[in-house]
Amino acid sequence: MESRLLRVNLTTGEMKGETIPHSIFERWIGGSGVNNWIMWEHFLTHDINCDPRGPDNIFVFGVGPLAGTGAGSGIKGRITFKSPCYNMFGDSAGGGKFPYYARFSGYEYIAITGKAPKPVYLLICNGEVALIDAAHLWGKGTEDTHAILQEELGDYPSKVHTLSISQAGENQVGIAGVVSDALRIHARGGGGAVLGSKNLKAIAVQGNGGLPVARPGEMLAWSDDFRKKIDGNEAIYGFKRRGTLGAVEMYQHIGSHFWRNNQGNKFRGDEIRSDNWVKKFQKYSEVCSSDCFIACDSKYVIDGTESEPSKKYIGETFRRPEYLTTGSAAGALDVRDWSEVAHWGKITNDYAIDNQDLSCSISFLMELKQRDLISNHDVAELFGHEQSLRWGNMDDIEACVESIVFQKNLFGVMFRDGPYFGALKYSEMKGKNFMKYAMYGKGGASFTEEVRPYPTWMNNMAVASRGADHLKGIGLIEKFQREDLSKMYFNGRTEAADLTIPDLKGACTALAENQVALLNSYGVCLFHWMLDPAEFTPQDYYGKAYAAVTGIERTPEELMRDGERICNLEKAFNSRVGMRREHDMVCERWMWEPNSEGLYEGAVGADMFNTVLDEYYEWRGWEKESGLQTRARLEELGMEDVADVLAKDGALALT
Amino acid sequence: MIKVHTQFLSHFKELAATDEDVFELDRPLVSELATRICDRYGPRMQAVLIDPDTQELNARGTMFVDAKGRRICMADPLEDGDVITFMMGIAGG
Repeated sequence: MESRLLRVNLTTGEMKGETIPHSIFERWIGGSGVNNWIMWEHFLTHDINCDPRGPDNIFVFGVGPLAGTGAGSGIKGRITFKSPCYNMFGDSAGGGKFPYYARFSGYEYIAITGKAPKPVYLLICNGEVALIDAAHLWGKGTEDTHAILQEELGDYPSKVHTLSISQAGENQVGIAGVVSDALRIHARGGGGAVLGSKNLKAIAVQGNGGLPVARPGEMLAWSDDFRKKIDGNEAIYGFKRRGTLGAVEMYQHIGSHFWRNNQGNKFRGDEIRSDNWVKKFQKYSEVCSSDCFIACDSKYVIDGTESEPSKKYIGETFRRPEYLTTGSAAGALDVRDWSEVAHWGKITNDYAIDNQDLSCSISFLMELKQRDLISNHDVAELFGHEQSLRWGNMDDIEACVESIVFQKNLFGVMFRDGPYFGALKYSEMKGKNFMKYAMYGKGGASFTEEVRPYPTWMNNMAVASRGADHLKGIGLIEKFQREDLSKMYFNGRTEAADLTIPDLKGACTALAENQVALLNSYGVCLFHWMLDPAEFTPQDYYGKAYAAVTGIERTPEELMRDGERICNLEKAFNSRVGMRREHDMVCERWMWEPNSEGLYEGAVGADMFNTVLDEYYEWRGWEKESGLQTRARLEELGMEDVADVLAKDGALALT
Repeated sequence: MIKVHTQFLSHFKELAATDEDVFELDRPLVSELATRICDRYGPRMQAVLIDPDTQELNARGTMFVDAKGRRICMADPLEDGDVITFMMGIAGG
């Protein structure tokens, strides 16, 4: 197994291809694992405490070895960088066709450093590379950028596939993401701001090269088995039609949405809280990865007859929203009309901005207004004019979005790095403590779901390497009370599936983080695994596909250690920038306010928080008091070199 | 004989063509309820409700809970007036 890496220094214009040797894949699997290692090595020779918006930061794109091989497991590319909004490790996944067309174009990994003297885009076409003036693209959203590049680059040797930023990235808004083919966002952590700070508007790829597969027959047999398992599952058929929106009615029933800044946990709109609208308006379309047997994506077209608000959006078409797009609009902001929820998804994608950070920033301010903690005068001070800040009002919401994207006013500037830092700055400015109403974990915006009844999820939010996040350690055993999975992973013990006790919840976080690290390194979508985690095990079932593609043989136990190694490298990055146990925390509302409604009403996060966090450190082999890694555990994982760096930086546990 | 109320959400609602139903059971057990649901709604409902390998309730992509939000299994007892909800199970997105 080898891959090609393109290194681009935008300051000098130097571009150099190199081969990533087999030994790197033996250690880091691929995808996010290899990205992490490229960034780690970069910051051995550059100051890790550099300004993330400065030329010393690095932006790495990479795609794992299963992507585009016909595995049918969906495809995710990965971007990795030092986060400009949270000032720590940052990365984000995104789907679409860009990731595997990057492979077809000749480079599976791209590392960008420096800063171009003027806006440019990077073109890679069957191994040939060029930096091209992007003055005509600067100031445009991702949809226009993609369309212009498609038009000017033509369809040979393949259609053009793009990764681009919007005006938000150009303005170095910390919560700006990067969008693949104008459709699928790498939202988390501020990758768009990193590219904007480097004057890189887009990466465009064209190619018709092949992909290396070590044992094609074995790969095809695996793929066929995977397809049969998916097609033979009636429940998965339900998810094929709904995608992640299959969660809407379940969450409504148990109380797992995030309503009005998580003051509640159920949607209030009559239509939006059922999944009738999900099916009614969906049409199949080819907008995601073509290497996916679930193909849950679909699109909507608004004709103006659906509702009164829909008249504003006649003719608008886009992907139907994912769950968290819906959760952020119908939940956090209390938008009750599906066409407005869909419109929210479209504009946040076109502006390439994280809708979790964005919605939590806006809902923070709306809650202050709702509670009369700020006056109309205070609001006018933030926006430069009166702004009603009514829950669910799309005009008010769009005004807030544009304030941040275009850095139009004090609100936009103050909240450019999400709700945590925005709330801190605003509290300081007003001389009042508003942090009770800021929703976050580890400095990152809350993700817009209720977590208080779920100790593992709460812990995930506190320890995720890129700030509060479910996609670093999604706790399926606990949320779905899966005793079978608890027994499978914990020697017959069932406690991990019991929501009412803290036992094994920290262990579940560590387990899920390791598994997710593997999937992210294979370059596949997490959705397939989530639908049948007992069958589609990352370390065993997917491990066979990984072996067929790469020729790298691993036992399930070895793969779990590989996943653990990848998580430890992310942890080491954060330890080097000064993060300790006190940073592994969640917001006051999640910690102290009882869950206000739903089946698990009354749950308080603080009841189990520290017990679970202690257990997490124990299972990780890290020091409880400081949260730092130990040399002993790192050596067990074959990471002596990492331990040496941490020791030199004073970021290794002394025990 | 007891009466048990069922709620069907999302995909289950489509398979049952209703969002709720009532079952009268001779034996107050989840297994009896599952049998009756399969009899009433047919093989597609059975395919999503029961794991053919274990004959337990299917846990793959599903969530079946009582009124307190506890996941149920075949051997669980039921009482008159119980409400059982059948849902798709997914997280995040």
